[in-house]
Amino acid sequence: MQELVDSLVADGFVPGGLPLWVAYLGAMLVFGGIVVFVFILPIAGVTTWVERRVAGRIQSRIGPNRTGPAGFLQWLADGIKSVLKEDIVPSAADVPLFKLAPYVVMTGFVAAFVVVPFGGPLIIADLNVGILYLTAVTALVVVGILMAGWASNNKWSLLGGIRSAAQIVSYEIPAGLSILPVVMLAGTLSMQGIIGHQGWAPWTWHVFDNPFTFFAFFILFVSALAEGNRTPFDLPEAESELVMGFATEYSGLRNLLFFMAEWGNLYVIGAVVTTLFLGGWQIPLALADHPVPRIVLQFAIFFAKAYFWVFVAVWLRWTLPRIRVDQMMIMCWKYLVPIAFVNFMGTAVWMVLFPAGVPAVRVLLSLTAAGLLVAFARRVVFHVRRALLTREELSFNPLSTARVMSRG
Amino acid sequence: MSLTGFEVEIQREVDGGLTTEDMTLSMGPQHPSTHGVLRFVVRADGEVMKEAIPDIGYLHRSIEKISEKVGWHGFMPYTDRVDYVAAMFCNQGWAMAAERLAGIEVPKRAEYCRIIAAEFNRIQSHLLSVGSMAMDIGAYTPFIHTVREREYINDLIEELCGARLTFNYMRIGGVAWDIPPGWREKALSFLERFEPLIDEYNALISYNKIYTERLRNVAAISAQEAIDYNLVGPNLRGSGVRYDVRRDLPYSVYPELDFDVPVGSGELGTLGDCFDRYMVRMREMKESCKILRQCLAQLPQGPVIAKVARNFKPAAGDCYVRIESARGDMGWYVVSDGTAFPHRCKIRTGSFAAMSIIQKVSRNLMIADLIAVIASFDLVAPEIDR
Amino acid sequence: MGLGTYLRNIKDAALTIGDGMAVTFSHLVRKPFTLQYPDRLPDGVRVQDTLPFRYRGMLEVDLEICTACLACERACPIDCIVIEAEKDKAAGGLVMTRFDIDMAKCMYCGLCSEPCPTGSIHHTPEFEGADYSLESLVRKFVKAPVIAYKPKKGGETDPEIAPILERGMRYVNEFASPEGGSTD
Repeated sequence: MQELVDSLVADGFVPGGLPLWVAYLGAMLVFGGIVVFVFILPIAGVTTWVERRVAGRIQSRIGPNRTGPAGFLQWLADGIKSVLKEDIVPSAADVPLFKLAPYVVMTGFVAAFVVVPFGGPLIIADLNVGILYLTAVTALVVVGILMAGWASNNKWSLLGGIRSAAQIVSYEIPAGLSILPVVMLAGTLSMQGIIGHQGWAPWTWHVFDNPFTFFAFFILFVSALAEGNRTPFDLPEAESELVMGFATEYSGLRNLLFFMAEWGNLYVIGAVVTTLFLGGWQIPLALADHPVPRIVLQFAIFFAKAYFWVFVAVWLRWTLPRIRVDQMMIMCWKYLVPIAFVNFMGTAVWMVLFPAGVPAVRVLLSLTAAGLLVAFARRVVFHVRRALLTREELSFNPLSTARVMSRG
Repeated sequence: MSLTGFEVEIQREVDGGLTTEDMTLSMGPQHPSTHGVLRFVVRADGEVMKEAIPDIGYLHRSIEKISEKVGWHGFMPYTDRVDYVAAMFCNQGWAMAAERLAGIEVPKRAEYCRIIAAEFNRIQSHLLSVGSMAMDIGAYTPFIHTVREREYINDLIEELCGARLTFNYMRIGGVAWDIPPGWREKALSFLERFEPLIDEYNALISYNKIYTERLRNVAAISAQEAIDYNLVGPNLRGSGVRYDVRRDLPYSVYPELDFDVPVGSGELGTLGDCFDRYMVRMREMKESCKILRQCLAQLPQGPVIAKVARNFKPAAGDCYVRIESARGDMGWYVVSDGTAFPHRCKIRTGSFAAMSIIQKVSRNLMIADLIAVIASFDLVAPEIDR
Repeated sequence: MGLGTYLRNIKDAALTIGDGMAVTFSHLVRKPFTLQYPDRLPDGVRVQDTLPFRYRGMLEVDLEICTACLACERACPIDCIVIEAEKDKAAGGLVMTRFDIDMAKCMYCGLCSEPCPTGSIHHTPEFEGADYSLESLVRKFVKAPVIAYKPKKGGETDPEIAPILERGMRYVNEFASPEGGSTD
């Protein structure tokens, strides 16, 4: 973005006499505003729509379908409703902390978008410590959640806040360790650099580069889910135990901010995983002299890949039960961290042994992944067939047990 | 510290100049997962509980006292409300008690109709129990699926007796409505649809690693402890005790039917843990399907109600009737004084007994485990408080 | 924990989670079960018309065939039926001045329709009875004093009353009786 502003100044678009830092500040506010209001908030909102529709279909029911076509405007209606709701602050709560907590969480979440690549050159700032910055800034969320849990003056919220702190801090380790193999392979921490190291074809992606990065991908995805407080790691907001965990006492706009941070975070998870392991926005065509279609195509590919993982996170939420606190810790420290270490060392050894990688292994891993998908599809077909043993006349729809009552 | 009529003993520890105190939480009457209006006062050290003291009575409606006012026939709809999740069994208990006091013999076809209705109700109750247990552990989908299957059974019973929850199907001397034409085929096609779905639930949730890790070795109750604390039904059978009123003190036409009594075996953890109780319920649903197929095939002809006076006055005396409700051995102790109104009716329910063991079992469990324990005992608050 | 158990835990977790995901995905591709009541039903269908004949919805009284025997008032366990009937020599029988059913108290048990000799009090498939005031839930069936019905030997001949009686008897005959046999 800095180059863009510099070129605009050089072309004379900025009124003369303004110092450079004012131009930068203005550009920051404008771009930041565009990204937040045009991309982040709608993404968080649309993700709720996707979640509710997918949840509905998984549960044999329709999701929201009244507001807008196929219920597409439900999130807008819910958002407006939340903003207009009564603002309740518990009388015994620690008011400054209580009011500040949602903003801290939102800051931690929105600040991550600075380094999320949208496609091609579309990135707010391609920091040369990109992925490290992202990991650091998303950890800010812990502070916000702890503040929320403590300031609510509610024992259940406190339990939720403490659980969340333990969870997020613990799962930073395997997440960080799983990022390291990719960083070693690409040789850079910058997001665009990592994407540049991959190609468009699946066997050029980092995930299929060697068996260690293959497992590192799954560990990163699981750890990212844990950091985002998503089922199976949603103990901090475990509905059946703690009503809403750390967010129990929040209503109206503050509640909305917490949950927008959660749903928006899903996209960040998808974007991170796509950038690091799945080839980012690489497209097969070069399109060197058609920048606009090229950027559009890159944006579309990146968005599709990232949103697929949002869909997987939603799908997992409605499939899996919740893990208990001590089991979560066991899983992190006894399973994910050792395996992440093994991946890290293994990638290092692999890079020493095969500096340019082994194409056969790449192709083999891609085929393995394809094979797993095929096996999964067959299992789905098995379940569908088994459930369709019903005869159509038996339907719980009362219209089929029609017996018209004649009134004489 | 006192919490409305409760004296909870808090432990304080002094450790190097720092005083720590237990946390007292009220898993209050309003809570998303206490299966009705129950309250637990939890004394905890962070996540680990020292004790969970149950507090009941929020759903007390004086049903037993009402029986003394409305009379023998009029009490039947009230028995539905004793345990509205498994209402047919309560109907059956009351009807059997009145029949035993008056020496009425129920026609064969009526007994078969009763068992058909009761076993469908058992499947419904277990579906709800299994679904809400999964929901409490965090998986919301199986709940919706099991409730969807309940809708099919609701439709069937709606055609049979006109209502979907508070059935009022049975009467003293038999049942109120005969099986309508075409109902048998619908019931059989439901059973054909439902039995493979039990395997689908097992694939989706029962053997899911996260679910089994939440439930195995949690609140393991040995057989002797279960008997000492008066547990009944799937709670008792989960601990390995093969006791089922349908098999050991048979009533109605259960002796003519062939079915197994599934028992917990510690298959994934300790004998008598939450997972065993859960699997006993899943397997009992399959057994109920077996019973239903036999009943629907063996249904004899004949009347479905015996001749009973409208002005029913059984002989003075008392009787204790035991039936195997979805929640276990339900006891009906009814005292008659020869008039048209019962003198006293006392209902002993399985959930009430299960409340007493929760306090003992909750030591050194985590709060998340308490939810699993409550769900695995299949507590329903109306049955506890009546 | 040995290495074998460790690896087996990982394998079990992956397989069972994968199977669960297959089940939920299979639901994604099936049709949903929702019936969108009340405003997106198939054309011209009223849910009330599709309910079974025995459905115990809101109570209704056909006063043309009510014999004022008070059996329903006696049978009701919750005392929600209030009937006032007096012998009136001049009118030639019982005259009913009041037949109130408090639907707010009614628990839809069906014990009132069982002993009715003509089926005049019966449950209808109507379930949409919600209203804004509690008083409006007391159904008053007698608008002006009415003579109680006397069943005629040899069947009803009045063409206005006969269909009502026939429907009432059909409702009452659904209930089991000690003499009745079975059809299935």
